[in-house]
Order: sequence, then structure tokens, then C-alpha cells
Amino acid sequence: MKNKETTTCKDIRDRLNKIISSYLSFDAAWVQNHIVNCPKCQKRFSSVGRVYLAISLLKSRPHQLDLLRQANIQTIDTLAHSVRQHCKADKLKTARPEPKLIEKLSPLKGALANTAACIAILFLARMGIFNSMEKFQADSQKAIEHYYEKNIGSDLSSDIFSS
Amino acid sequence: MISKAESYRLLWDFALPESACTAQKWVLSAMQSEGPELITMLWRILGNEQDVCDAYQDTFLHLAHYENGIKPRNIKAYLFRSASNTAISILRRRLIERKNLPQIAAADKTETASNDLDAGHLQQQLRYNIARLPEYLRQVITLHDLAELPYVQVAKIVGITETSARVYRHKAIQLLAVWMNKEE
Repeated sequence: MKNKETTTCKDIRDRLNKIISSYLSFDAAWVQNHIVNCPKCQKRFSSVGRVYLAISLLKSRPHQLDLLRQANIQTIDTLAHSVRQHCKADKLKTARPEPKLIEKLSPLKGALANTAACIAILFLARMGIFNSMEKFQADSQKAIEHYYEKNIGSDLSSDIFSS
Repeated sequence: MISKAESYRLLWDFALPESACTAQKWVLSAMQSEGPELITMLWRILGNEQDVCDAYQDTFLHLAHYENGIKPRNIKAYLFRSASNTAISILRRRLIERKNLPQIAAADKTETASNDLDAGHLQQQLRYNIARLPEYLRQVITLHDLAELPYVQVAKIVGITETSARVYRHKAIQLLAVWMNKEE
């Protein structure tokens, strides 16, 4: 009972969010119409756009590849002697920024999706789902044939189903 | 810079007993796990390699000295907050230096007048305006937009709710828009 209530609650919240965002987002038609005709809002909109542009410019400018190495060397040299001598310190002194696993796998996204689909099909075949689907299809066809035989006669029905 | 590093090293060797030093190997682990993300954030805030290295060094030295070498409960939160504060201090210092050098200030003004959509100028304008923001807004925008951390993590680091983080970010963008528009 409680579970059902929670699900309904979540559904309602999701629906409300969708409705509100469709009316209140920048892409909503009435907002766009207003911006076209209001110089003040145009100014506000363009200044916010300028901030977003500046943020994306900051993000798009990469740093040098060996900046991490340089920073690590400078920092490790100021740490205690025993820390400096640790094997991890040597690794850090040659470290380079590496893309995350998700970023590394992104070119293989298509291949991975295909493999996953193949595995899913194999799994379904192993479970016998395809066999039961075929059986269900054959049974349904038999039922329809039987219905036609009963209503239009066996000759016509055999003509229809033999083709 | 090498002499600065050297002096830090000597000081540090004398300052801590060996037992405390051994316990501080977790600093290296933190450097390994959070280092690349910190460098990206510092680079976006400062835009200068030497400043990035200095801020990075200061951040890890603060971490190593934290309550006599005790490991903080949330290292990531400590590192990001400390790095962002250090970077902003450096940025403010640079801003004062630029204002005090009349030649650079004059060059800046001419640049602004001649080319409004200059990318470098726009980035610099944003950096200096972020440095002007109140701390609670600045931390959210730095962590969310420059360090690219999701709101959940930003909220954890700053110690607020996720909703507050969203609201603060929105306020920060609005304030930046007003300031950047005035400077036009």
C-alpha cells in the first residue's frame, strides 16, 4: 500500500515537473515571444549568455600535458623526506592526466552496445523465451485457422492459409 | 621558485618527527586520486601555469599540516575548498598587481575598447568577477562550473543541500551577468 502511494507520489511529482518546465523554461513559446518584444529581457538574456560563453571558453582551453607532473614535482619536493622517498612519489613525478574510463570507452560505445545486444539475445535463447514465443505464435495461427474454417468453410480457409 | 621549494623542504624536514611523516603517506594517495581534477580546476581559475603549481603546492602543504598531520574526514572536500580559496587569493593578488601597474591597466582598457568579443578578455573578466563573488556563491560556481563536479558532490563539499547549491549557482550566474554587463 505504502509502495503504491510512493509510486503515485513520484509520478505526480514527475508530471508536475514536466508541466512546470514546459511552461517556465527559456524554450517555452511565450518566453521566447516575450524576449523578442522586450529590450530589457533581451539585455538580461544576452548578459547571462555572455557568462555562459565565458565559462565555456574557460573550459575549452586545455592546459599543457605535463602541468600535473610539474605541480607534483614542486609539491613532493616540499614534503617530508620519508614521503619523498616513497615509491608512490616517484610515480606521481611522472604522472600525466589520463582520460577517465568512460571517456576511454566512448569510441567503443557502438561495439559495446552490439556485444551487449548479442549477449542479451543469447541469454533469451538460452532461457527458451524464443521457443515459447514460436509456440505461442503457432497456437494463435491454429486458433485463427479454426475460426475461419468454422465461419467460411474449410476449402476457403485452406486456400487463405496455404498461400 | 626552486629556492622557495628548497626552503619549504628544509623547514618541513626539521619541523616534523619521523612518526608523523610516515603517517602522511596518505597525502600522496590524495595527490594521486584528486590531483588531475584539482589541476584542471586551478588552471581554469588561474590560467597561468606557475600560479597553478603554487596553488597546488600550498593546498597539499595545508593538507599535510592539517591538525598536526591528522587525516581530514573528507579529504576531497578539504582539498577542493582549500585549492579554490588559495587560487582565489592568488587571483586577487594578480588583480591588485595589474591595477597598480599603470601600463598594463592602460593596455587592458584599450583592449576592451577595441575588441569587445575578445575571448581572452572575456575569460579574464569572468575570472576577476568570480573572485569578487561572496564566498558561498563563489564556491558553488567554482566547484560546479570550473571543477565540473555534480551538484550532489558540490553540496557535500560545501556542506549545504543539493537544492541550495542549485539556487546559489543561479544567483552567482545572475550576479556575474550584471557585473560583466556593467563593465561593458
